[in-house]
Amino acid sequence: MIRRLFKHPALANPLAMVGFIIIASIMLLALLAPLIAPYDPNAIDVKAILLEPSAAHWMGTDGLGRDVFSRMLYGARISLLVGIVAVGIATGIGIVLGALSGYYRGWMDVVIMRLVDVMLSIPTFFLILAVIAFLTPSIWNIMIVIGLTSWMGVTRLVRAEFLSLREREFVMASQTLGAKDGRLIFLHLLPNSLTPVIVSSVLGVASAVLVESGLSFLGLGVQAPQASWGNILTDGKEYIQFAWWLSLFPGLAILITVLGYNLLGEGLRDALDPRTAGNQAR
Amino acid sequence: MIKYLLKRLFWMVPLLVGISLVSFLIMHLAPGDITTTEAGFNPKASEESRQKLREIYNLDKPITVQYGLWLKRMATLDFGTSFASHQRPVFWEKTDQQGNVSKGLIQEALPITLLINVLSLTVIIAVALPLGIVSALTQNRPPDRAITLFVFIGFAIPGFWLALVLMYWTGVVNSWLPISGLHSLQYDQMHWLGKIADTLKHLALPVFISSLSGLAGIALFVRNGMLDVLHQDYITTARAKGLPENSVVYRHALRNALLPLITIFGLSIPGLIGGSVIAESIFAIPGMGKLFYDAVLMRDFPVIMGILTIGSALTLLGNLLADLAYAWADPRVRRGVLK
Repeated sequence: MIRRLFKHPALANPLAMVGFIIIASIMLLALLAPLIAPYDPNAIDVKAILLEPSAAHWMGTDGLGRDVFSRMLYGARISLLVGIVAVGIATGIGIVLGALSGYYRGWMDVVIMRLVDVMLSIPTFFLILAVIAFLTPSIWNIMIVIGLTSWMGVTRLVRAEFLSLREREFVMASQTLGAKDGRLIFLHLLPNSLTPVIVSSVLGVASAVLVESGLSFLGLGVQAPQASWGNILTDGKEYIQFAWWLSLFPGLAILITVLGYNLLGEGLRDALDPRTAGNQAR
Repeated sequence: MIKYLLKRLFWMVPLLVGISLVSFLIMHLAPGDITTTEAGFNPKASEESRQKLREIYNLDKPITVQYGLWLKRMATLDFGTSFASHQRPVFWEKTDQQGNVSKGLIQEALPITLLINVLSLTVIIAVALPLGIVSALTQNRPPDRAITLFVFIGFAIPGFWLALVLMYWTGVVNSWLPISGLHSLQYDQMHWLGKIADTLKHLALPVFISSLSGLAGIALFVRNGMLDVLHQDYITTARAKGLPENSVVYRHALRNALLPLITIFGLSIPGLIGGSVIAESIFAIPGMGKLFYDAVLMRDFPVIMGILTIGSALTLLGNLLADLAYAWADPRVRRGVLK
């Protein structure tokens, strides 16, 4: 699969490339945050409160005199971590349930699909907030909650792929030759159904980043003093009349990150899906 | 049609049971008992209110009994009273022994959120349809490129950030629009037309914010749907027999491309209801979203559970309406349903 990705025309797809470059640079900045950040992100400096962006403070300082650029770098770590872990959880659950549902069919399929319907009929943001109300908000809880409330799409995708792949000759042949369930699932069905899952996971990270920043903005996500783009914006709201930089930079960072994931996802979809790839050529 | 409706209603029963199970599960997520401080319950809350909470959810009874009682609460739509000092009923008005009527919290908030959602859907249809059609008709040319760029930005822009920026720009810098609340202070003295204008002015920004991402999604959907349809054989036939291009696009292609939109609208309802949290809490609009947000901050569990249930029920209702509308709009399905 990985090798196929590298050889694939995805590399020639401009959308995917732009998205990839955006995401790779943000990841690099996040990883290297301790090396790049000019200040300690949590260091309070009462002599430098609400300073405009300058050579000393590239993105200004906040209401406690903390360096916004440093906080942004550390905030990038939170956004990426939450996005990727949450989607990892969702994709894991989705693959397992989708595979069970599509492979065994029968009552298992009925139960899992009804569960999907139930989860889809509860407004997601309400569900996430309700769970957080009963737990304490922390970065770990946020990841788990977002993961546990966003696996339905992947489940449906994997199930649909399994249902159609099961009828294909190479799977039937393998089954006729006496292949066990495990071999069929892991060797034949799963690898061949991963393409749409990869696309939907990349797009899923984009929405997880948005949800996390929304929660942190509302004060129900990552808690101060830990920096996240969402909670820097909460400060921005408070000082919006005097300190535009507190609102501008985190907002742009979220916008660019989400845009990057969406471009990468859509680009991969175009490149990996033979149907839309044909569409492009038309 | 009646038979189809009954069948659909029947299928909602297992879903409702599922929703009751999921919400029951959430209630029991908290470590220990939801009245303990570990669950973030206000440590200052009196033992009396803790006792009341235990009574409402029967936390002292066996778990199966608790679930049965929760089902009963859901079935009778009786979610108890809020923990806030006003102690108002969560869902619908109640009259106490002295004959005082206290309005339900959801009863008051729901119409406001529904109004915002209806306005948002109207905006989405009015803007996304033309955008999607133009985009499809100019595929890969500048108008299509510009619209696609707009769509990507619409998807990626954080609503709460845009809300802040617009609030600052139209409210603080230019004072064109009011930035919070649903009505002006002088609302009660206004003429009814003035009242409508006042409400619309207050809702302009929230509606814009809550329709933006849906707008991008629907525009993209209409574009792709149109492209799919335009490449089908019957369109080639229509062109080949010399129909004017307008007739081909709007009578033959558009009608078919629009059908799946009905389902998409049905599916977008939970997003719209859930999304109201951010727009309403930023603009201080007293709808379901703000009610829910405040309840989460205060750990007002009866309100949280009530809104979760009502929100899900509304979603089911929306999906049902979407399916009925689809059956009505698509002659192929209609015939299948009537049979």
